[in-house]
Amino acid sequence: MDRNQLAKWLKSPVEMANKYSLHAVYFCTGCGIIEIPPVITARWDAERFGIKAVATPRQGNLFMITGYVSLKTLKAIIRTYEQMPDPKYTVAFGSCPINGGMYWDSYNTIKHLDKYIPIDGWIAGCMPRPEAVFIGVTHLWTLIDKGKADGYIRYSKNYASYRRNQEMLFGDLGWPPLYPSESPAEEARA
Amino acid sequence: MVTRIIHIVLSPLIALVVAVFLLGLSRIVIARIHRRYGPPIYQPIIDIIRLMNQQSISHGTLFELGVVLALAGSIVTVLFIPLGGTNAPPGSYPLAHGLLCPLSSSGGLLVVIYLMLFGPVSIALGAGASENPNASIGVSRKMLLALAYEVPFLLVILAIMSHYGTISIAEIVSRQQDSAWGVFSVPLSAVAAFLILPAMLGIRPFDLVGAPQEIASGPLAEYGGRYLALLTIQNGIQVFVVIALFVNLFLGGGVNVITFLLKVFAVFLAAELVSAVLPRVRIENALRFCWTWPTGLALAQMIITVVSR
Repeated sequence: MDRNQLAKWLKSPVEMANKYSLHAVYFCTGCGIIEIPPVITARWDAERFGIKAVATPRQGNLFMITGYVSLKTLKAIIRTYEQMPDPKYTVAFGSCPINGGMYWDSYNTIKHLDKYIPIDGWIAGCMPRPEAVFIGVTHLWTLIDKGKADGYIRYSKNYASYRRNQEMLFGDLGWPPLYPSESPAEEARA
Repeated sequence: MVTRIIHIVLSPLIALVVAVFLLGLSRIVIARIHRRYGPPIYQPIIDIIRLMNQQSISHGTLFELGVVLALAGSIVTVLFIPLGGTNAPPGSYPLAHGLLCPLSSSGGLLVVIYLMLFGPVSIALGAGASENPNASIGVSRKMLLALAYEVPFLLVILAIMSHYGTISIAEIVSRQQDSAWGVFSVPLSAVAAFLILPAMLGIRPFDLVGAPQEIASGPLAEYGGRYLALLTIQNGIQVFVVIALFVNLFLGGGVNVITFLLKVFAVFLAAELVSAVLPRVRIENALRFCWTWPTGLALAQMIITVVSR
């Protein structure tokens, strides 16, 4: 253990544990997932930093969206994100979730992922190299330290607008809202 | 009476600390064999703190009860297993102390056989309540695997009981400390028990119960948050119980806790070294393996023991 961090560990163990135990849900959304095996296996060994891939959304707290997001995948992404327990962090990986990337004029992919689920960090590039993943993770640590990785709070606060965006795309989503609307005024405005 | 209460508190605490340490050690050992650096040894503690403070999603009373029952079953099993110490009069061994086994006078091996199945059955109960198809596949695999390793395990236990003529683990340990270890007096049983050790621990090549890549970690598929934290601890204690039983039956226990724990680490390391280099087998191959070599060896040892008595 880094001795400089001992005071931090004693002060806020939960926050530090959130930082150093990022369990990633490996949900293969696009071509970017090909960069993840080198990250978690012998070549770059993400387990040094406590990053581990877990198989189910219930056990994870880091959600990486790797590569382009087609409409069909987006539906699964939203379901997976809503199944993950709080606190959870989302990182979008590659150019495509940021602004569409090379699929900017495709009829079947979305351009801005943060309209549909909240994103805590972005890793730009096509493809980002595994080193970029580690830089992204250290940035995420800084954000968690400063309390700015608050995507799950923003999601519950602005759920009505996220849900509206999702329903604009899909029509009826087929599952009940995660957070039932708080006030009748909000309902009326929607 | 007071010492007994102290022992009842102390045994699960030792098991808990060693269990968490074993979980961290296994991750480091596997990482080093893969030529990785690996996580720090206290990584399971970080994970448990994180899981304890995460939102926990429940699927009903039975789902929660399964976790509690599994953990309770594992902790109770620890009380029946000697964790070092000796019944010999003081002064016969250097650095020896009294037997650390709060419930040594009752039950013995027969109770341990029953209690060791309690954890898996409770997890099956909780996982069944979650109604996840992956969990059901995991539970069915777990039950089949238990069927596979229980046959040679019971034969091994039977051979040991008939060789020493007792069901008390404390008695078996003290007999081994007086004369030869179980590895030398019932060698084929020891080999058979080591062959089914990965299956009992649920590590490779028999980790098909919680295979993340195939069935999304099986029975644990719906568990998250503090349920998963408790199940991680339960898994660690179960690993400790199985290895402690192996050490007690074949390696002569330990005259004090330190030598006992050193033997536990040695056996765990051997099992991990086997598991780190082998791929996962399918369930039918696991059954076929467990019912041929370990069963054959255990049966042969039992016949030898019974004939030579």
